[in-house]
Amino acid sequence: MYNIYYISAIQLNEFILRLRGSYTVFTPVAKVENCTREIDYSYRRLGAGEEVVFNPYRPVEPLKSFFTRAKEEVCTYFTPDRPVDEPEKTVIFGVKSCDIAGHKIQDFVFLEGVEVDTLYRLRRENTTIISGDCTDFKQVCHCLSWEILPYPTWGFDLNLSPLNEGYIVEVGSEKGAALIKEYEEYFIPAKDVQIAGRLAKRESLIDRLRRYLLPQNLVRREDAQRLVKEGHNLDTWQQFMQTCVECGGCNFICDTCHCFLLADKQEKHENKKIRAWDACLYANYARVAGGANPLKLRAQRLRFRYTKKFDFFMDNLGLPACCGCGRCIEVCPGKIDIREVLKDLAKKLSVKE
Amino acid sequence: MKNIFRPIKATLEDVISETSNIKTFVLRPKEEFSFRTGQFVELTIPGIGEAPFTPSSDPGNKEKIDITIMKAGRVTSLLHTSPKNISLGIRGPYGKGYPLEKFYGKDVFIVGGGVGLAPLRSLLFSLFAEIDKYHKVVLRYGARSPRDIVYKDQIPKWQQLKKVDIITTVDVGDAQWSGNVGLITTILKEPPVDLKKAVAIVCGPPIMMKFVTLKLLDLGFNPAEIFLSMEKNMSCGLGKCGHCRLGSFYICKDGPVFTYEQLKDVHDIWD
Repeated sequence: MYNIYYISAIQLNEFILRLRGSYTVFTPVAKVENCTREIDYSYRRLGAGEEVVFNPYRPVEPLKSFFTRAKEEVCTYFTPDRPVDEPEKTVIFGVKSCDIAGHKIQDFVFLEGVEVDTLYRLRRENTTIISGDCTDFKQVCHCLSWEILPYPTWGFDLNLSPLNEGYIVEVGSEKGAALIKEYEEYFIPAKDVQIAGRLAKRESLIDRLRRYLLPQNLVRREDAQRLVKEGHNLDTWQQFMQTCVECGGCNFICDTCHCFLLADKQEKHENKKIRAWDACLYANYARVAGGANPLKLRAQRLRFRYTKKFDFFMDNLGLPACCGCGRCIEVCPGKIDIREVLKDLAKKLSVKE
Repeated sequence: MKNIFRPIKATLEDVISETSNIKTFVLRPKEEFSFRTGQFVELTIPGIGEAPFTPSSDPGNKEKIDITIMKAGRVTSLLHTSPKNISLGIRGPYGKGYPLEKFYGKDVFIVGGGVGLAPLRSLLFSLFAEIDKYHKVVLRYGARSPRDIVYKDQIPKWQQLKKVDIITTVDVGDAQWSGNVGLITTILKEPPVDLKKAVAIVCGPPIMMKFVTLKLLDLGFNPAEIFLSMEKNMSCGLGKCGHCRLGSFYICKDGPVFTYEQLKDVHDIWD
């Protein structure tokens, strides 16, 4: 059985549009208004007859926003048990390698541990991911420093790599294989020369990205955990938090941040539990009844964010919870840059040694 | 389909006033509900909010659950004004609880402060139920003043039990008080236990836990035999919402009972 195919650009457009018959399809669209430096891509529901855009790098929204909502009802109670509504079958087109890597953290949180989150699992099962190689990068991109490649090798159902007037399509799951089978008229087995062409394009982008990142002198993956632990008492945290306006943007836009808060409300005589994303940069994140707050200082909260990412997840999953997508850097009105925070820790610790 | 956030209904059968700001709520769950001593539950006021508490009753009682609650925030203040017979929501139990089997044959040295005696009462009931399995049960309890002592009527009864040794103290006495006056650490000086086969269990406000733990280490207790009941703002109870992280642990899932050995290298555990 082949698992690498070729599809022409015209046929890809047709294929994705036809998927609208059975799925809600999200594809990125270029946001050209207010564009100053580089074009941003944002997911939207694909409408009939619209053109499918292949985004060169990751969209604005994190992948997690398809699986947990900023605010949503998670259950009613004291009412007869209602079956969970089956989530709509969804195709997400334009997912990138960083998103897939970061999403591993979300899967770990919601699919593993003491209990599985049913709503998350159903959405995951009903979602088909059609990812794509990066063909360019944003100024804030730094996946390579976390040893994540700018093209996915796992975690997708189908992956697209642009080549000439079409795409190499790699099958990554049974779900992906079933799609190819269902729409077999669009796909032809890829030739060796085409696969070699894909490799050359991939290597050339890695080379370009590496040369872009090299002068930035970024902290290496294997050093991050030690830096946040040993840097506990450094003034880095205070210094970088001086410009924080506590908007929580870095948390909400992050592919790996998963914290949420449960709240109760009554609506039409029904009791409901609501789940809303929470942000550890918020002043009340750790506050307990009576007002005591172990993360009272902003610097403590920044440190909490970094130890969660680089200490907690290294210990519990063997992975740092940063995928180098750079979303938090772009979103921050205070210009707090995760690359610079880590570099500052490294610099100050090396002086101490 | 199982919904992990859905509470079951429990009737508030009775409310017992312990002190001016602490009450014990007696709940009868409408569905089967059991817990291990030291585990916690999330208690919901329907449509209003929920908060984590460790039950204070005997886990052997499968019909009713007591939860002793100090008035502290929004949910607890509302609970304190709730009438009997209303329905509350309960979900859980969560966390690991006390590893009773590790206490078998040992001198169990329990140190409680204030409303921290609540989860410890559940532990005491569990120990009393199988007292032959333990060498000795020692309780040292401190409250701010005589009026702040919880379970006032029960403590003297426990004192009568065989193999049980209890001393209480208050930070500030009053005209009627003839017992010890002084911080909890003043009654920890010469614990009547054999350190070679003793375990210590501490529950109370953070500042008390800190100084008691330091005192216990000073007395020669093994860090791996000091069991601490940690607390933060647990929300989901399942290690998913992130709030109760302590170093590389979640209090809700990996605790709430930890040994000092597990936490000794974690920063700011007493904050």
